[in-house]
Amino acid sequence: MKTAFDFLLGIVPRQIAYAHCDIPCGIYDPHLAQVSAHTVIRMTDLILDLKKEETETGDKEFMHKIARYTKVKEEHAEMVKHEVRIIWGDYFKEEHLKDYPDLHNLVFKIMKLASKTRQEVDKQSASDLLSSVQEFAQIFWKTKNRETVKVSSSYPTGGEIVLPK
Amino acid sequence: MLLLSFFRIIGHSMEPQFKTGDRVLAGYIPYLISQPKIGDIIVFKDRNTERVFVKRIKKIKENRYFVEGDNRKDSLDSGKFGWIEKKEIMGKVISKF
Repeated sequence: MKTAFDFLLGIVPRQIAYAHCDIPCGIYDPHLAQVSAHTVIRMTDLILDLKKEETETGDKEFMHKIARYTKVKEEHAEMVKHEVRIIWGDYFKEEHLKDYPDLHNLVFKIMKLASKTRQEVDKQSASDLLSSVQEFAQIFWKTKNRETVKVSSSYPTGGEIVLPK
Repeated sequence: MLLLSFFRIIGHSMEPQFKTGDRVLAGYIPYLISQPKIGDIIVFKDRNTERVFVKRIKKIKENRYFVEGDNRKDSLDSGKFGWIEKKEIMGKVISKF
């Protein structure tokens, strides 16, 4: 049963507020890349599940929703690339590559997958993108000597988020 | 300016008050009846990056506001943002949930 709070959550807009900077200031976190990858999956699902209503305004509503979902999918796939690029370019050092020699290949894979999720409506690519970003997050936290744990995302996409313990 | 909105926090600059993943409710309603004051935690849009940030008001001077994160070691402040104006304030953080 929905509470008044759930109702409020449903009608009030939700946004992201950054308590963050990119000087570089030493503050790096792959969390947003993971959240964005989940969003790509969610938008892909919404597009794939969308049915055109056989009504007078059905076509317009269909196109409107497709446009909105696609816009958000585009933005978040790009955000994945942006966040991963920052961590890869600003945080990772050559010495990390000794322990994680496939890091460059992983980042390359993420870039390609993120582009693919923009070009196509492909659930598998979106899922692969999240898996790769999670792998990237695990490597990131290991370089900080932090064990990681996968917790339920609690998003409509299901799946998990990698967090430091 | 927004009447009411939920925000998900990304970053460390407002720790220990807010951590990454926390959700807060913010709105402009409090500032319809009173002025922003020192100590208020606000959300505002950075005029350079168009990103929305959450910070605490530390100083007020001639209707301009100097903001800073609670976690000063890891936070940008108005030295980066410049003193922000009231019109840039989107709302006051009302509660965390």
